[in-house]
Amino acid sequence: MIGANVEAVAAPQELPSRDRGRVVRALLADPLSVVGLVLITLLVVAAALGPWIAPFPDQGAGQTNIGEALLPPGGEHLLGTDRLGRDMLSRIILGARPALLVSLLVVGLAVLIGAPLGAIAGYRGGRLDEAIMRLTDLFLAFPPLLLAMAIIAALGPGLERAALALAISWWPWYARITRGVAASLRERPFVDAARSIGVPERTIVRRHILPNAISPILVQATVDIGTVILAAGSLAFIGLGARPPAPDWGLMVSEGRTFILDQWWYSGFPGLAIFLSVLGFNLVGDTLRDIFDPRQVRR
Amino acid sequence: MSRFLGRRLGTAILVLFGVSLVTFTLARVIPSNPAALYIGPRARAEEIARVTEELGLNRPLPLQYLDYMGDMLTGDWGTSIGTKRPVLSEILDRLPATLELLITAMVIAVVFGTLLGVLSAQWRGRPPDLVVRLIAIAGVSMPAFWLGLLLQVLFFRQLDLLPLSGRLDTDIRFISPITDVTGFFTIDAFVTGNWVAFGDAAAHLVLPAVTLAAYPIGLIARMTRASMLEALGQDYVRSARAYGIGERTVVYRLALRNALPPTLTVLGLTLAYSLTGAFFVEIVFNWPGLGQFAVDALLNVDYPAVMGIALLGAAGYVLINLAVDIAQAWLDPRVRLA
Repeated sequence: MIGANVEAVAAPQELPSRDRGRVVRALLADPLSVVGLVLITLLVVAAALGPWIAPFPDQGAGQTNIGEALLPPGGEHLLGTDRLGRDMLSRIILGARPALLVSLLVVGLAVLIGAPLGAIAGYRGGRLDEAIMRLTDLFLAFPPLLLAMAIIAALGPGLERAALALAISWWPWYARITRGVAASLRERPFVDAARSIGVPERTIVRRHILPNAISPILVQATVDIGTVILAAGSLAFIGLGARPPAPDWGLMVSEGRTFILDQWWYSGFPGLAIFLSVLGFNLVGDTLRDIFDPRQVRR
Repeated sequence: MSRFLGRRLGTAILVLFGVSLVTFTLARVIPSNPAALYIGPRARAEEIARVTEELGLNRPLPLQYLDYMGDMLTGDWGTSIGTKRPVLSEILDRLPATLELLITAMVIAVVFGTLLGVLSAQWRGRPPDLVVRLIAIAGVSMPAFWLGLLLQVLFFRQLDLLPLSGRLDTDIRFISPITDVTGFFTIDAFVTGNWVAFGDAAAHLVLPAVTLAAYPIGLIARMTRASMLEALGQDYVRSARAYGIGERTVVYRLALRNALPPTLTVLGLTLAYSLTGAFFVEIVFNWPGLGQFAVDALLNVDYPAVMGIALLGAAGYVLINLAVDIAQAWLDPRVRLA
């Protein structure tokens, strides 16, 4: 009971609302992050309303229309059609949802695994810290994507497995970020105070450590959502992700490869969709990083 | 310095040891029937029994791990299911092609990335800075496989300037074959004075190398910009300017020299990224390197090959980071004394 009271007094302030205002203003002041916000909005709208805004929702979902195969962009099919006569624009719009969902799932899982481990490592210090950090070293010793590929080889291909493999190779980044925050907070008076009056460790980590790690985690997650879209697209391109007839961007680029010299739009537009989505998150992430930590440039 | 070296080398070996534990786990512990994976699809029961015996899969895991380590260290990385040849020689045969591509891309990236970063810092907040930032961020956002396809359409189909794919035109083999020295076609052709082959090899190298360089250019430009901004704000730069030293000397001689060590750090990361990035570029350009082999191995569940590549990639990564750390300690005494 006493613990709970002191906690309320000693707990660090969450990001005050005027700081949130500052972040929003800084994002709107930078032309690049405004472009990024627009791109992200487009992606979210396409993901949310895809079946309603796509001109040919059935074709987007996979229905074929062989009579109109490989039509160039223009006319009824603004971005042309694929080898099975499906409207490219509809396919791309319907591809937004799986792309965004997979990415959110991967980053979410990575945060859920990484943040608590990092918080405990940083807060406890000592042997446990050493053990957890060496574990992250191991995972980070593999070039990006290579570990995910090896895991997919062990699990078998498929979209869900690809997502799981990506999350397993992504969590160490979040463990490291959270650990840094936790280690810097460990000796601060409000944490000391909480500890000395007997607040259980789990509560300290949950109430005092993790909330302070939210900003750096959010910045990293923003960039990572884009990076994971790129990674999942790459895996799909080589056949380790989604399976046909799913409207998957990476898969569409891969299907169009055989036609690239004469029907450039087949690979061109889905690739553009990947590029613009990733670009959106990176543009916003870049500005966010400048706001929170002008010196930190990573990956 | 030697103490630093010893400590750093020790960590690298420990990490490599750990990496082998991870590949061992993926190869032997996670799959429910590793023997079947090693034979490939359509394994017969007696074959599985034979391989189980051969690989010692019925022995306790710690003993299996010791065997596995012994095999890796003596160069026995298993036999590829796809090609029926030893995995290690398959990998070593293809390594020069990948390295040639990788190194060329790195050189392009370091030159252009640094240049763009310096430019951006000099023009901070003004239009050129904005353009460079956009290029840098676009570079790290672009799917390499897509960029490669676009460049093929532009430079092969539209402009007819550069070859579509491959490492060499097929007729070069008959007109003016390359003598094998290093396995790098451009270097081999150059040192043997084989200009026809050199031109052809270089032309084939341009598009894939530029494609692969896009991501590192972005990373290096961002890092250089940040560290240049910091360096340009230092007192010694202000003093130099106050003494009337030319702007070019201030920027390129004084500030850039101090801005380089952080760039070196990203170089390690970048190389590692590009190793897997090269896989996708190789696929698009039919480049006969490790990437093709790796992707075929992944798709055909060629288990020994996949694990071999993972191990090699991780080992390469660890060694690159080791080299970067040593270079950094050599450049900056604060690092080795810390």
